[in-house]
Amino acid sequence: MTTTNPYTPFLSEIKAVIKHTDIEYTFRMTFSGDAKPGQFFEVSLPKFGEAPISISGIGENTVDLTIRRVGKVTAEIFENYVGDSLFLRGPYGNGFSIDNYIDKEIILIAGGTGLSPVKGITDYFSAHPKKTKGFTLIAGFKSPNDVLFKADFEKWKKNLNVILTVDTPIDGYCGKSGMVTEYIPSIPVKNIDDAIGIVVGPPMMMKCTIDELLKKGFKEANIWISQERKMCCGIGKCGHCKIDDTYICLDGPVFNYTKGKFLKD
Amino acid sequence: MGYQINKTKMNTLFTDLLENYTIYAPKRFVGGGTFADTDCIRYGEISTLEEIEFSEKSDYSFKEVLLPISETLFYFTEAVMKESDPPLKEAIVFLRSCDLHSLNRLDTIYLKNGPVDPYYKRLRDHTHFILMGCENTFENCFCVSMGTNQSTNYDAYIKVTAEEVLIDSHWNLLDQALANAQPFTVVPDSVSINNISVEIPESIPQSVFDSTLWDDYTARCIACGRCTFVCPTCTCFTMQDLFYSDNGKAGERRRVWASCQVDGYTDVAGGHAFRENKGQRMRFKVMHKISDYKKRFDNQMCTGCGRCDDICPEYISFSNCINKVNALVKEENR
Amino acid sequence: MLDLNTKKIKKNAYRITKVRGETASRIRIPGGLLTADLLPKIQEIAETYGNGRIHLTTRQGFEIPGIRYEDMDAVNTLLQPIIDQLEINQVIPGKGYTASGTRNVSACIGSNTCPFANYNTTDFAKKMEKEIFPNDLHFKVAFTGCANDCIKTRMHDFGIIGMTEPQYDKDRCVNCQACVKACKQKSVDALSVENYKIVRDAAKCVGCGECVINCPTRAWTRSTKKYYRLVIMGRTGKRNPRLAEDYLVWTDEAAIIKIVKNTYKFVKEYIDTTAPGGKEHIGYIIDRVGFKEFEKWALDGVEFDEKTIVKGPVYWSGPHYD
Ligand SMILES: Cc1cc2nc3c(=O)[nH]c(=O)nc-3n(C[C@H](O)[C@H](O)[C@H](O)COP(=O)(O)OP(=O)(O)OC[C@H]3O[C@@H](n4cnc5c(N)ncnc54)[C@H](O)[C@@H]3O)c2cc1C
Ligand code: HEM
Ligand code: HEM
Ligand code: SF4
Ligand code: SF4
Ligand code: SF4
Ligand code: SF4
Ligand code: SF4
Ligand code: FES
Repeated sequence: MTTTNPYTPFLSEIKAVIKHTDIEYTFRMTFSGDAKPGQFFEVSLPKFGEAPISISGIGENTVDLTIRRVGKVTAEIFENYVGDSLFLRGPYGNGFSIDNYIDKEIILIAGGTGLSPVKGITDYFSAHPKKTKGFTLIAGFKSPNDVLFKADFEKWKKNLNVILTVDTPIDGYCGKSGMVTEYIPSIPVKNIDDAIGIVVGPPMMMKCTIDELLKKGFKEANIWISQERKMCCGIGKCGHCKIDDTYICLDGPVFNYTKGKFLKD
Repeated sequence: MGYQINKTKMNTLFTDLLENYTIYAPKRFVGGGTFADTDCIRYGEISTLEEIEFSEKSDYSFKEVLLPISETLFYFTEAVMKESDPPLKEAIVFLRSCDLHSLNRLDTIYLKNGPVDPYYKRLRDHTHFILMGCENTFENCFCVSMGTNQSTNYDAYIKVTAEEVLIDSHWNLLDQALANAQPFTVVPDSVSINNISVEIPESIPQSVFDSTLWDDYTARCIACGRCTFVCPTCTCFTMQDLFYSDNGKAGERRRVWASCQVDGYTDVAGGHAFRENKGQRMRFKVMHKISDYKKRFDNQMCTGCGRCDDICPEYISFSNCINKVNALVKEENR
Repeated sequence: MLDLNTKKIKKNAYRITKVRGETASRIRIPGGLLTADLLPKIQEIAETYGNGRIHLTTRQGFEIPGIRYEDMDAVNTLLQPIIDQLEINQVIPGKGYTASGTRNVSACIGSNTCPFANYNTTDFAKKMEKEIFPNDLHFKVAFTGCANDCIKTRMHDFGIIGMTEPQYDKDRCVNCQACVKACKQKSVDALSVENYKIVRDAAKCVGCGECVINCPTRAWTRSTKKYYRLVIMGRTGKRNPRLAEDYLVWTDEAAIIKIVKNTYKFVKEYIDTTAPGGKEHIGYIIDRVGFKEFEKWALDGVEFDEKTIVKGPVYWSGPHYD
């Protein structure tokens, strides 16, 4: 039989581990195939299970996976990654197509780990600032202790408009606070008909943010979102990620809002 | 080619086939039903014609032959990850017309939606399908409405009469085995009318999703999942990884049937469930069967076998729900 | 002028009532299930010889009051087709019931209708009736389909409660845990999950079958063999009413029939013939001669199934008014 088995994971070396918080680490993994921001891998731990994890950065023969420790599989990754490799399968999903955003004004709004799938987009425009007519990143975290990618923020601040805000500040924090939505009205946009909005985060945050962008005059067709759902296979078989006639794992997780708004669980 | 042979010859043929094939057919499991002294008709291995239950519809469908309820994908030892072995023998499956149409739905998901599923394919490619005719409709069938009451793409059709066995073969192997049998014109029995008929709207407006129609099911459905487990076209599964408790070093990864009706189906880490409400689960299932699948693949997912209506312990009728949706859409379009 | 042998009359299943000159006829319906065509026959007796009324007795019989003692022969004639159709053992055909001491063997509706039942209670009740009736000794036997005990077997001398030994096919299990929830919420919490499959604590399991009823995939099914819990010596009454206690768990039909029949021999041997009316109830006899002696008689020649658990010696509670 010659059919290759898409369920068979491959071994990927852990090149580096970047610790953001106690429960959120970025694992830099060897990978030399094509990968796009917004796509994801199934991290596949024999005897423990699999977890879909977004690509949070793309380098020379590496991909970054930023993982939050929440349950069985993710805990096992954190406990035993010292084995210095992980099984992966993927990449899966459509991912963001940077081409859609080139030479446009962009507001990218991310909540919490939602920054992972769009971090690649930010990295790209930070590296190629000429390819955008204005790039604003609004990133919201629960508290200053939850902020991810601190070093990257320092880098991005140099040539992008970066707003980093936390829901609940703590003593000694002197950055911005409040919901991401509060910052949207004041972002200057020259050509609203052509401006791009990209929104990723928890379901309620996404809903409010999109409402705010629409209120500001963004066209539905210019808003892009990434959806997370329960996944067991990543390849259109298990059914868990299906909404309407859409399989998030195959057709998403990135959707244009004109399509995404109809997705009803 | 059509043939007529006697039952003894047929059983001899079965014996020969068993050398290389496992034969699966609906079988009566006496005392195997839900309640005391009730039977269950479901798929099992058979070796004689007499073991096949021709007179009643099976409670569970043939799908468990191609999609085992619990199927190991990999075995793990400390160092090695090993794909599970396929069965040694090929398979023959007896099934009715609606189920043969359902095979197409399984193929679509497992062979066409995304990459080919090798575990399904390795069973599917080595399975032959024998059609069982339907002289009369069973209680809840609506195959006529779904256009699944007749089939032609079988490897063979077999009908057992009082004395004889009639066979229509599309399969060389059988033609060779029956070379000396009496030729006979055999046309599969099929029904042209059911007790139940459904009308499915061409397109279903978004408003139906938000209709109060679904609220009725919120309190009625107990989320047991029976309707989807018996369904020949439901394909969902969940992965299970485990290590054998003895040493923790060896283990396996398997997939088991899942149901969008059962708790946990949409649960993600942290405890959020995307579809908690049972009425909404009903809406999700119904829409998958009569709308979502069709939008993606051009034919209806449901094949009208009626098993979901046969089994629901709360007497929730799927076919009646389709007709309620249809009435609602008609109302909206007026 | 009436000149009656009340003892004979009572044995013939007629009652000496508080109304002078009037008796009442008791019709036994073993297993409590009858075909509707018998009802007009009962109606005819009540309307022809009784006062037109029928009492439904506690233990699933009919009692027809208001019958003149003179009409007992005629009533016996009308009773014959009922006795025949219900296949009641009878010594002299046409002469009514041969005894009344051993009461109607009653049963809940069981697997005829009830989803919880683990066996056909009526069939077993009828079988028992065939084995023990007619007999003048006062025995009450009742059959119930499951531990819900709708017939209240625990108020009987012998109560038979249906059990099944759930059979688990792990390859059919989808880990929905419907069985675990059912066992926990409706029964004894004997199930747990290990490696996504179900583990049954056999020592805890009461064989109620809730897991089988609730499993959506037939991963749980019933054992081919039927099992029973035999509870003994429950009673109501003036001195020491009490609930029957477990004697055997996971026992079978043959053992139960043998034990009940053996108990007749035990009672015959030990009954206090000087008691009022020569009547002493089994439970009090056991209290008097001791459980060990009863058990010696009861188990004579009994062969247990390998699963059977014997819970003797049995102790009872209940208030003592004496
Ligand atoms: C497209 C996509 C991208 C994601 N990207 C990231 C990321 O970059 N970083 C990150 O930390 N998390 C990400 N998640 C969430 C992550 O997949 C879950 O947190 C993870 O599966 C939890 O697994 P667990 O075994 O530790 O938790 P448990 O609670 O033990 O979960 C058990 C199983 O449930 C399923 N499951 C649970 N939660 C989710 C979920 N949210 N989404 C999908 N399946 C789930 C998985 O099959 C998992 O194996 C992403 C999810 C999706 C769908
Ligand atoms: C002279 C002796 C007795 C007579 C004539 C007698 C008669 C009866 C009759 C006619 C019934 C109704 C039966 C039926 O529905 O089929 C009955 C019920 C009953 N009898 Fe007696 N009885 C006698 C002694 C006893 C004794 C000694 C006890 C208890 C120790 C007893 C306990 C009961 C109970 C509890 C019932 C209710 C039925 C039940 O729930 O089991 N009786 N009796
Ligand atoms: C679906 C659930 C149930 C149904 C449909 C049901 C139905 C019935 C019916 C029809 C009767 C007969 C009543 C009569 O004689 O007039 C009965 C009696 C009885 N039931 Fe249930 N029952 C159910 C559950 C239970 C449960 C869970 C228990 C105990 C825990 C129980 C205990 C009894 C008892 C003790 C009786 C005897 C009634 C009496 O003495 O009047 N039942 N039941
Ligand atoms: S939805 Fe019901 S009628 Fe349709 S194929 Fe499934 S079980 Fe059969
Ligand atoms: S109806 Fe539910 S269980 Fe069946 S295939 Fe669709 S999502 Fe899966
Ligand atoms: S519809 Fe019926 S069979 Fe399906 S989950 Fe609900 S109660 Fe169970
Ligand atoms: S038979 Fe009853 S007690 Fe035993 S495991 Fe099943 S539900 Fe629990
Ligand atoms: S109810 Fe059946 S399928 Fe569900 S967990 Fe129990 S045994 Fe498994
Ligand atoms: S994750 Fe299995 S179908 Fe999408």
